[in-house]
Amino acid sequence: MQALRLRPNWDGFPVATQRIISKTTLTPMAKLRIQFENGDPEKVIEFDPAKAPFHHDGEPGSILDVMLGHGIHLEHACGGNCACTTCHVIVKQGFNKLGEASEQEEDLLDKAPGLTPTSRLGCQAVVEDPNAEIVVVIPRYTINQVSEAAEE
Amino acid sequence: MTSEPTAKRSTLNARIERIFDHTSDTRSLFLSLTSGKHLRFAPGQFISITIPLGDETRSRPYSIASSPEDRGPFEICFNRVKGGRGVEWLFERRVGDTFDFSGPFGTFTLAPDLDSEQGFIAEGTAIAPIRPMLKQAVASTPSSTIHLIYAAPDRDHIQYPGELDALARSAPNFSYEAVIMPADRIYDRLAEMAQTRWIAADADRSRHFYICGVGKGVIRLRDLLRDAGYERRAVRYEQW
Repeated sequence: MQALRLRPNWDGFPVATQRIISKTTLTPMAKLRIQFENGDPEKVIEFDPAKAPFHHDGEPGSILDVMLGHGIHLEHACGGNCACTTCHVIVKQGFNKLGEASEQEEDLLDKAPGLTPTSRLGCQAVVEDPNAEIVVVIPRYTINQVSEAAEE
Repeated sequence: MTSEPTAKRSTLNARIERIFDHTSDTRSLFLSLTSGKHLRFAPGQFISITIPLGDETRSRPYSIASSPEDRGPFEICFNRVKGGRGVEWLFERRVGDTFDFSGPFGTFTLAPDLDSEQGFIAEGTAIAPIRPMLKQAVASTPSSTIHLIYAAPDRDHIQYPGELDALARSAPNFSYEAVIMPADRIYDRLAEMAQTRWIAADADRSRHFYICGVGKGVIRLRDLLRDAGYERRAVRYEQW
């Protein structure tokens, strides 16, 4: 669905028509483009931030919440409670369109492998701008990711 | 809408070997890997258990309460919480049941090579990750002073009291105090004790801290210590 950002002049339109058009074309839609470092195909989600939460884990309207609510998996070992770094994402576009990171998120990111200046935790990075266009990369590795090395 | 993982999640499978009820609402499960191998983890880490709820599954974290050196089944510890469907599912498990999990995860672990004083603060079942961290700290840093403040709403909910007593008797560098307070005043009291013991008592700001608990009280303790001059990275915490 294409996002329209300008409210049209409704003069002359019946109320019922206004409602139908509003519901189908005029809802502000943020766009989240997800790229996977492991080579999985890119995915794009268009969504209305005002309709958050979309799922039950992570902050409502967060990248994790949006992805899970649209059927795209993002690891979140702690249940989206800001207690690990498995939902680490790198924001390539739209960093300033996200809510600010808390000290708790910064403390955790401090220990995330592959940390970049635009790293965020997916469970905490909330898309606030209804017209935001966000591009994130899901890193190949996350800290302490489960592997055969967990058994000995 | 159901979630369709883009990549298969690697999981391990655990069998419940033993169940121990600390109280009517607090339980430990002792788990072994069905592969026959041992789980490798660092004290303070957690596992993420795959819990079926209706027609979907959720991942929920549970701290490992035992030490890697124990070598037998590893232990997770949890308590009933209002509306906690995941934990209710765990309470329904029986000896011999199996379930999937992933991990270990988490960076709430001991700072390496410490010789400074270490302060631990825990509340209720949040003693779970602190317990193996304490053992590791006592064993690996015999020259540093280690003190635990452990709070619960009543004496029954102070877990591992015999073990803590024994550790305090055998390790001259370790001491602890149990704090019994109504749940709504626990963090007020913990903040008072931290203020008295680690802030007002002297100007030493070389200590390291490990705090684990539930809710914003953990953040309050973090801020109290950092604002008093302790380095940000010297105040580690895990908030559930």
